[in-house]
Amino acid sequence: MSDATNIGSKAEKRIAVLFLAPALLLLIIFRLIPLGWGFGMSFTDANNAGTARWVGADNYLRAVNDPTFQDSVANTVILLATMPMMVMLPMLLAILIHQGVPGGKFFRAVYFLPAVLSSVIVGAIFNVVLRYDGSLNEFLAVFGFDAVDWLGSSSTALGALIAVQLWSTFGMSVLIFMAGLTTVPEDIIEAARIDGARFWQRLWFIVIPSLRPIIEFVAVVTTVGLLTNMFGLVYVLTGGGPGTATTLPEFLIWLEQGKLNRPGYAAALSMFLFVMMAGVAYAQIRIMKRNAEV
Amino acid sequence: MSNLTLKNLKKSYGAVEVIKGVDLAITPGEFVVFVGPSGCGKSTLLRMIAGLEVVTSGTIEIADRDVTQLEPYDRGIAMVFQSYALYPHMTVAENMGFALRLAGHAKPERRKAVEEAARILQIGHLLDRKPAQLSGGQRQRVAIGRSIVRQPDVFLFDEPLSNLDAELRVQTRIEIARLHQTLDTTMIYVTHDQTEAMTLADRIVVLRGGIIEQVGAPTDLYDDPDNAFVAGFIGSPAMNFLPCVAASANEVTVAGLTIALPQLQTQLRQGESMKMGIRPEHLNGTNGPSVAMKIDVVEQLGATAFVHGMLGGDLPLLVEARAMRPKAGDMINVPFDPQHVFLFDANGDRIR
Repeated sequence: MSDATNIGSKAEKRIAVLFLAPALLLLIIFRLIPLGWGFGMSFTDANNAGTARWVGADNYLRAVNDPTFQDSVANTVILLATMPMMVMLPMLLAILIHQGVPGGKFFRAVYFLPAVLSSVIVGAIFNVVLRYDGSLNEFLAVFGFDAVDWLGSSSTALGALIAVQLWSTFGMSVLIFMAGLTTVPEDIIEAARIDGARFWQRLWFIVIPSLRPIIEFVAVVTTVGLLTNMFGLVYVLTGGGPGTATTLPEFLIWLEQGKLNRPGYAAALSMFLFVMMAGVAYAQIRIMKRNAEV
Repeated sequence: MSNLTLKNLKKSYGAVEVIKGVDLAITPGEFVVFVGPSGCGKSTLLRMIAGLEVVTSGTIEIADRDVTQLEPYDRGIAMVFQSYALYPHMTVAENMGFALRLAGHAKPERRKAVEEAARILQIGHLLDRKPAQLSGGQRQRVAIGRSIVRQPDVFLFDEPLSNLDAELRVQTRIEIARLHQTLDTTMIYVTHDQTEAMTLADRIVVLRGGIIEQVGAPTDLYDDPDNAFVAGFIGSPAMNFLPCVAASANEVTVAGLTIALPQLQTQLRQGESMKMGIRPEHLNGTNGPSVAMKIDVVEQLGATAFVHGMLGGDLPLLVEARAMRPKAGDMINVPFDPQHVFLFDANGDRIR
């Protein structure tokens, strides 16, 4: 590390500082200052009228005892529990495409298509598909199934939301895995074939271990996506309902801040979310570091 | 009995035929080297034997069993790759024992086989390391060890020394030769380096453009090449080729000098244009006909010197000179023994 910092003349170092300064400035103005500001606000009863009183840790205590917030955390835990599936499914699909199934390029394009759609459009599409008189229920009726209110019933709403999120994001993961697969050396797969490894054994013993850095990367990206990018879908598809069935922390923060006029409380909730994210980021940095050492 | 038989083996990529009908029988325990310039199909041929390339037509038999359509793991072969192809996430011991693990052998049994192979290759102290922690030479030993553990009918080597530095290459070459003596198993070895081919092989298969040019013991190919390609490829530095004309039924004229070739069985047609080949090491006789050469460049190696020069102003000639210290610009007389002269017709085929 010390070697890297010693490279270059003083003039070059000044130029480096010059190039780094704008990004650093933006980071400070739009990330660090608001973070500190929010942290301060979380100890007040600030509202959108501009008055604020110091209330100590009240907001945090209230959050811990707030059933809506508790539900949103529980929903987040369920959401995160689906993460392995959101990583494994794209990996298997990428492996199959990489194996050269007929029409692989077509599948790759089709899988990736949803990734370029905004969550609002995805939400609009699935409103049509999933509503009570929607196309999914019509399709199921052909096989004699009763209609289900996928988005309106608290037992199915979160599952439906997760499925839509999976559909709209897994194409990107497929693409990342496909890029990763091209870095798995062909000769070690051939060596495994000679050593006696059948297709699934080659996957299990050679390909998947070789993809470990990619798996970890996709896992981190997927987790971050689940924690911070669900807002659009929740807003368009369920509005957090029915009840709190699909309320997630970021949606709740938006509700408290904008709709319920409690920026101080919303700031406290944001701090909880920030701590969760920081945990993920820490894990991410550790994983990347470990991979760099291999 | 034959350990490996190739019958009219062909391989095409689309319309491009890269292996154009290869017939070869290899006896058990033989060390056969496929040699040829890049693009000659030697690696493709090896990969076809391994089962890594689909055969377009023809058959491959290993230990009297038709394996043409079998998967690599059902062929009884082991292969050492140029890139070593070690599994990066496994330790050396796991790499070497992988085939046995897949075959369902118990752990103590695997460990025993791995340790035995490691003992032969002197890599016992490396067993718990990962490939990334090994040097190139050590990785190559592990790759060889991995193939030994499987106790195959046939070992396949695909340019195994290409990624090693010169010194290590010579060492490993000797070790492979020793390994062959120890194991006494059939080995097929692909290389573009004729020195490796000469030193290792019981028999050399010279390939060009997807066909076999000649098969034979190293000294046979050196002493009695079938054509100008084999003559030029085997031997280092390469044979000199000079245009010549038949002066009579057993005499040729080259660079103004007429040489009698009593060893010829063929009657030459007077006036026929041919190519004459003579190796640099045969151009340092003490008597016999001689040609005068002007020295351009001298590559002095101490014991011997490679002298590059011109005959009659425009015919390049390379002479291996022992026991003299020639200098650039000098004129020297190069005597040679006509017994060492090879004649080739316009197609490059040998005239014997």
